[in-house]
Amino acid sequence: MAATDFRQELISTANAVASPGKGILAADESTGTIGKRFDGINVENIEENRRAYRELLVTTEGLEKYISGIILFEETLYQKTADGTPFVDILKKKGIAIGIKVDLGVRPLRATDGETYTQGWDNLADRCKKYYEQGARFAKWRAVLKIGEALPSELAIEENARGLAMYGMICQENGLVPIIEPEVLSDGSHGIEKCVQVTQKVIAATYKALHRYNLLLEGTLLKPNMVTPGQSGPKVTHEEIGMATLTVLRRTVPGAVPGITFLSGGQSEEDATRNLNAINAAPMARPWNVSFSYGRALQHSVLRAWLGKKENVAAAQEVLMKRAKANSEASQGKYVSDGKASGESLFVSNYSY
Amino acid sequence: GAHLSAARKAELERVASLIATPGKGITACDEGPGTIGARLENVGVANSEERRRAYRQMLFEAPGAAEHLSAAILDPETLLQRSSTDGALFPHKLQQLGVVPGVKPHLKVYALPGQGGATVMQGLDSLAARCEEYAAQGAQFAKWRSPLEIDVAQGQPSDLVIRANMHDLARYALICQDVGLVPIVEPDISLKGCHDLETAVAVNVKVQAELYKSMLDHGVYMEGSLLKPNIVNPGRDCAEAYSLREIAEANLAVLRRCFPIAMKGANFLSGGQSLGDAAARLSEMNKLKGDSPWNLSFSWSAALQMPLFDLCRGHGELQLEAMSELYLAELEIAGAAARGEYEAQGDEGAHLPAPSLAAAAA
Repeated sequence: MAATDFRQELISTANAVASPGKGILAADESTGTIGKRFDGINVENIEENRRAYRELLVTTEGLEKYISGIILFEETLYQKTADGTPFVDILKKKGIAIGIKVDLGVRPLRATDGETYTQGWDNLADRCKKYYEQGARFAKWRAVLKIGEALPSELAIEENARGLAMYGMICQENGLVPIIEPEVLSDGSHGIEKCVQVTQKVIAATYKALHRYNLLLEGTLLKPNMVTPGQSGPKVTHEEIGMATLTVLRRTVPGAVPGITFLSGGQSEEDATRNLNAINAAPMARPWNVSFSYGRALQHSVLRAWLGKKENVAAAQEVLMKRAKANSEASQGKYVSDGKASGESLFVSNYSY
Repeated sequence: GAHLSAARKAELERVASLIATPGKGITACDEGPGTIGARLENVGVANSEERRRAYRQMLFEAPGAAEHLSAAILDPETLLQRSSTDGALFPHKLQQLGVVPGVKPHLKVYALPGQGGATVMQGLDSLAARCEEYAAQGAQFAKWRSPLEIDVAQGQPSDLVIRANMHDLARYALICQDVGLVPIVEPDISLKGCHDLETAVAVNVKVQAELYKSMLDHGVYMEGSLLKPNIVNPGRDCAEAYSLREIAEANLAVLRRCFPIAMKGANFLSGGQSLGDAAARLSEMNKLKGDSPWNLSFSWSAALQMPLFDLCRGHGELQLEAMSELYLAELEIAGAAARGEYEAQGDEGAHLPAPSLAAAAA
């Protein structure tokens, strides 16, 4: 059982983030990663630009209509608008839950074929306390698994599941709802059936670990990959992705989990929205709220509209609202494409950030 | 389920859905000749194959019974017996009545050395061959019961006992599906003990979570399998009182924490509870379950059948007509509970400690 003091708050935060018709804006790119984004639009990676960009996101008028939570990188949690208002105050006022990325990146597992563990337990309890004081109410930790001939290995599956369970336990002890993210990368040329088998195995191992470490499932969220063919594998329809994904979730995710918020994993903005829609439109019962936690798939066009220029902020914010609205509709199975979203693939091989 | 053909998966799912028909449940008639014989002799009726046949015929063909029954679990002997109504073999008779016939293969309990009497159920050897036979005889599903006991002081059920039992249940399920039978998996945690409801919840989640993980790891097709669990209760000798609602909520909490959405339903066993208590608890669960998608129903043997045997006392012979009437009345209660429409009488379904225990705790 999680710490009794936080039990009710964990449950209510998780439920608030899992509100029907809303999702999460993943804006927690590390300094290095946001630099890569800025490279793509010729913007210098300095603190002021990072601050200005995140200000753009956070001050978007009406964002709370479609966004129930935003995940931030540590630096951003303590930043302010140009006129001195802390970001956390703006988000609290909008009723958008504040999340914080707490993992410290991936490191190689010895003698495996490029498999990794995620680091970040040291001082995690103290860091969680600090972030809670600053206004954070949920956290995120990304575990990464690869599909290959003999991958993922039992070692990688068990170690990453354990890592997620320990992180989750520490978060709950300190008042933060842990988002559990066991990402199976889409790198590879496998068909969708392989992804079904692997995702099923990984999510099952994850919940086994969460039970073992006595996590309060009602105070957690799941951020899984969608079930798709490999990046260079045989293509399938959105409907097939919807059915395969929902089938795997129904086999492995307990009903007590309030919400599932998918990662976009390099899918284009349009695909990420259409696939989410297909999952929600698939004709099988589900007890959890099924929505999005998108980074690239919400921000790609926003960055291109902004280009680092103050005069573009309003236009860029409009683009953000448009993508957020589209994904809100998709989370209710109501999305109809207008053909204008970006179809540009956002896939980066062996993605780490 | 990746190794099964699409046709096999579809058939398993079809049969599982039939068994999980809302408002209907399972009549468990799978006692072996020895066990059912003891019940007969206990009320002064001689044990014979014909009596066992006639008694089971009543359980299947009692007028109105089929309205409340989605399935029946048979002993292997009964699969080969015939209805005297029209000479049909019982599996076919049941299918005619819209009741799915299933079988409990022969199993023998074995005490694991060093585990204080805790057991595993033996029966995997030659299971595939036996199940193929049962399938040929008309069985469409099977059931395997793995009993466990909670004894907090002794550390039972231990991790080893849980793993051993749940892994065997998973392998049984895999074998069943391979020969075309829907497996009902029955992790049965006994009422015995003085543990509280919170402990019962924790142990039930631990046991069931191990079961589903094991099933997934073995490659069992979850959509073509069903659960027959105990109702989650405090130990029989628990000194604390719990309301009917608390007990029902504990059951839903366990399911929400680990029961896969992909499995269509849970048919709860009675395990020593009276019909009234079991029905009250099942009904309350159904009233409170909201939009939880599983079918929650019954799979009862003793709760339905023991009162029927009592009707035979002093007569020296089966009282089939009277038994049939009482059985139907009981099935109406069971069916109501499966629909969330049974109204508990008095304290039915609550856990009230025996006066001596309550006094000791006070």
